[in-house]
Amino acid sequence: MTLHSLIAAERRRERRRLRQAGACAALVAIASVLLLALSGWFLTAAALAGGAGIVAAQAFNYMLPSAMIRLLAIVRTGARYGERLASHGAAFGALARLRPALYRAITVTPAPVALALGRGEATARLIGDVDAVEWRFVRLSGPWGVAAALASGAALTLLGGWLAMAATLTCVGVALGLARSWSHRLEEPGRAVQQAMGALREEVAMIGGSAAELRCFALEDWATARITAAGDRLAEAQARQAAVAARFEALHAVSVALAAASALVLSAGAGAAIAALAGLAAAMTVDSIAPLLRAMTENGRLHEAEARLNALFGAAEDGRPALGLPCEPNLAIDGGRFAPGSRIALTGPSGCGKTTLVEGLLGLRPLQHGRIMIGGQDAALLAPATLRAIFAWAPQDAALIAGTVRDNLRLADGHANEDRLWQVLQDAALDTVVRALPQGLDTWLGEDGARLSGGERRRLSLARAYLGDAPWLLLDEPGEGLDAAVADDVARRLDARLKRTGQGLILVSHRPVLSALCERQWMADLGARRSAA
Amino acid sequence: MTTIADAAPGARTRNRWLKDAVGRRDGAAGLLLLDTLAAIGFAAGIAGGVTAVTEQGAVLPWALLMLGMGGLRALFASLASRRGAVEAGAVKRGQRLRAVAAMLHRKAGVPIDSGLLATQAVDAVEALDGYVARFLPARRAAAIAPMLVLGATACASWVSAVILAGTLLPFVAAMILAGGAAAEESRRQFVALHRLSARFADRVRTLPVVLAFRAETRETEAVGAAAQELAKRTMRVLRVAFLSSAALEFFAALSVALVAVYCGFALLGLLPVAVPETLTLGRGFFVLALAPEFYAPMRRLAAAYHDKQAAETAADTLMPTAASERAVSMAVAAPLILRDVAIQYPGSDAPAVSHLSLRIERGETVALLGPSGSGKTSVLHLLLGLAPLSAGTIEAGGAPLVSLAGQASWAGQHPLLIAGTIRENLLLADPQAKDLAIQRAVAAAGLGPMLATRPGGLDALLDARGSGLSGGERRRIALARALLSPAPFLLLDEPTAHLDAAAEAALIATIARAAPGRTTLIATHSPALAAIATRVVHLGTAI
Repeated sequence: MTLHSLIAAERRRERRRLRQAGACAALVAIASVLLLALSGWFLTAAALAGGAGIVAAQAFNYMLPSAMIRLLAIVRTGARYGERLASHGAAFGALARLRPALYRAITVTPAPVALALGRGEATARLIGDVDAVEWRFVRLSGPWGVAAALASGAALTLLGGWLAMAATLTCVGVALGLARSWSHRLEEPGRAVQQAMGALREEVAMIGGSAAELRCFALEDWATARITAAGDRLAEAQARQAAVAARFEALHAVSVALAAASALVLSAGAGAAIAALAGLAAAMTVDSIAPLLRAMTENGRLHEAEARLNALFGAAEDGRPALGLPCEPNLAIDGGRFAPGSRIALTGPSGCGKTTLVEGLLGLRPLQHGRIMIGGQDAALLAPATLRAIFAWAPQDAALIAGTVRDNLRLADGHANEDRLWQVLQDAALDTVVRALPQGLDTWLGEDGARLSGGERRRLSLARAYLGDAPWLLLDEPGEGLDAAVADDVARRLDARLKRTGQGLILVSHRPVLSALCERQWMADLGARRSAA
Repeated sequence: MTTIADAAPGARTRNRWLKDAVGRRDGAAGLLLLDTLAAIGFAAGIAGGVTAVTEQGAVLPWALLMLGMGGLRALFASLASRRGAVEAGAVKRGQRLRAVAAMLHRKAGVPIDSGLLATQAVDAVEALDGYVARFLPARRAAAIAPMLVLGATACASWVSAVILAGTLLPFVAAMILAGGAAAEESRRQFVALHRLSARFADRVRTLPVVLAFRAETRETEAVGAAAQELAKRTMRVLRVAFLSSAALEFFAALSVALVAVYCGFALLGLLPVAVPETLTLGRGFFVLALAPEFYAPMRRLAAAYHDKQAAETAADTLMPTAASERAVSMAVAAPLILRDVAIQYPGSDAPAVSHLSLRIERGETVALLGPSGSGKTSVLHLLLGLAPLSAGTIEAGGAPLVSLAGQASWAGQHPLLIAGTIRENLLLADPQAKDLAIQRAVAAAGLGPMLATRPGGLDALLDARGSGLSGGERRRIALARALLSPAPFLLLDEPTAHLDAAAEAALIATIARAAPGRTTLIATHSPALAAIATRVVHLGTAI
């Protein structure tokens, strides 16, 4: 599935509301053109009739035009309301299906590509792209309005002669054509803004990660100046972009004046009332292209957003077929054999690749061929889904999702009942903490468990791993940030749990109280050391 | 992504903050007012043209006036956009400066958080852009431009001016009635949409666990359900939220209709009541052509409303940044005495380091040895005022120590590298360093062989990622930089981590030669590196 087919499907699905929005937009445009043109005609004709004496004034049919004028005012209001409601309805309807489709596509992209999206600017850009694509639905009614304005404008100016009509349509055509060619020129400053933004983020990340050096060498002012300079370059690029976008406003104003003036002059022969009608109709016709012009300034950004998202859909792969779970999930790491239910401490100095190995076991990054065997098969050849069924993981950084305690636990098992949730919380020595939270399991924790302390976060991550139904537990530094008594408690309960469930344990931890649970040690750095000098 | 605080500060505090942050900027608003004046001129042109047609006069001069005024409108409107962008740039510059300075000069104990710096200095600051560039000029213009239109209208037909002003009263009443509720609904919708995006971003960020627990299908459904729920709720909200824009639309259309009908009847002489003014076609047409301009500034304001919402969200992020306070760096002398020191970061339930007592004499090399997570780096950060002293005391040369800032040099495992020459990277430690001093530092850090093979030597260019440098070479650049600084203290944070055995041994030998002469503190997990120290202090959680 590509993004384009998805968007096309959404347009089909939302066609009722999109049609409604288009019809309303057309009605708004017609009412706007007619309202002012008719008002102008009415005023001028009334003046002429009034000037011709009381009889002419009495004979003048004022009821119909004045009623029409009031009606048009109401129609325009109602139609605009209807248009906004219908087009936003379509956008939100599309949003509700585009987002899950996109998320689905991301989850089936190869892990390295997908995981790169989770970092810093990539996420921000992804969100911006999704927004851009969704809001195009709001603007789909724009062309309908322009078409209706053109039709009614053409009909009205034709009353003033075909020259007046031709002049009006030419003004619209030239304005749209110019805007179209300018919108290509906007792409370059648009890209420059993107680049300057990326450079600023990089600068900020570099400065943010070097606090100690900045302090030592008293470089704070230097660092501030660097970020300011990067910000200035961004502002400069933005100013250039604004200058190009400002041209569209100028174009709009000039073409409105040009259309009104030329229609007025060219229809002078048809009488003052018609000339007034044609002049104002021409002005309003050209005025109606304003939303389209605004949309054109966004076109470049939209296309880039679509291209990036489309690439995501393109990168999605069906993946290797998941082999069934090896019936005997015994494990061999670099030739060392471990029966199911073993407890292994992965050791080695920091930076030797323990976490890399752990993430490899979960299919989150490629494994070296032949290093790990599971049930006699090379783990590097197993489908990620197979690997992930074998290991229940508590990552080094806890990695909690924004949600409640329950949301976080349910990630590991969507159907776990209340009793099981409390059981795993108890096994992770977190049950009393959760009981003390205002809404217990349903307490909102914020982003990455912001409400919890570092140690509590880690234990919640641990509880989540316990809830996963897998033959091996894979715990990466579960004891970090715990004080001695809690670490003791966690270790004791883990020991009891392992005895009860018969699960195997692969543990990365520098805390003796935890590694003491393991009967075997395994140095992770054999052959894994990178040459770094 | 900026996160929306659950308990947002009061609207009044926020508005005051925004006002102070932006200052007084009238350039763009002034241009918008000029645009309105040109619109008045345009209306005069079209009215004159129509009158000329009825009187069979010359239409062309009036048409030229219309074109000229159209040109002026184009000029003023585009200048206003550009001016707005420039003003936004200036405001963002000031706020960025403030956020960065507050972060870099932060008080000890505020955790180092480069993510927060990015949120504040990039996302939140950029969210002020539309507010300054579009919303504020539109708001200022909306207060004055309708009065200009009203004044011009009154000159031609004061009854029409009264009619326009008369539509304003019910409009304001409608805005107060519907607008307050609509603004609240609209803000709620903005927040809900923002949350939905934040949730999506969160699930992308936490993709490793989602994948590892094979929860992708469930999470996809959850993403869909949340969006569906928002879509349903939003439609209810929008019905109200669009009311205020409908009211605006209604009164804009109504003002045109009423003016047209009044003028028409007045020109026919069929008004049911006598009004003490005689209207001509020219005046009537001028008033009619001007009527749409009466509500135009308010429509522009409504179109920029989401910029205001974005800025308010950003203000909530930026407001808590304290004004930066600069620590005065003063000369500090050994011995350094730590007594029963503990470091506990706010929000963590266990101290990173506790009961640490240590005395470091002048010229000593002390190794802090322990596994990762044992608080070695925290001790170094404590000496720089980057970590909080939660118990105990630190003295230097007999006086309480505030910070070693400016008195110490630093080499760590992820050295700060900037795009530029190697020389520029070294000079960060001491911009005034003489060539001879650089040569000495380069030699002491063992950078010589690497520079000899590199075209340009010291003037070889590096990019910000230090591409093409091995881990060992980076550390040596950091070490040379540290040695270039005349500071009496040398702090080394895991200088040999992630190096292979040979590179580590070579670097240890270099450090052993270079360290003497300075009071050196090395944080490491490597016993081989610790062996070169005159004293080893074991840190760690021996439980």
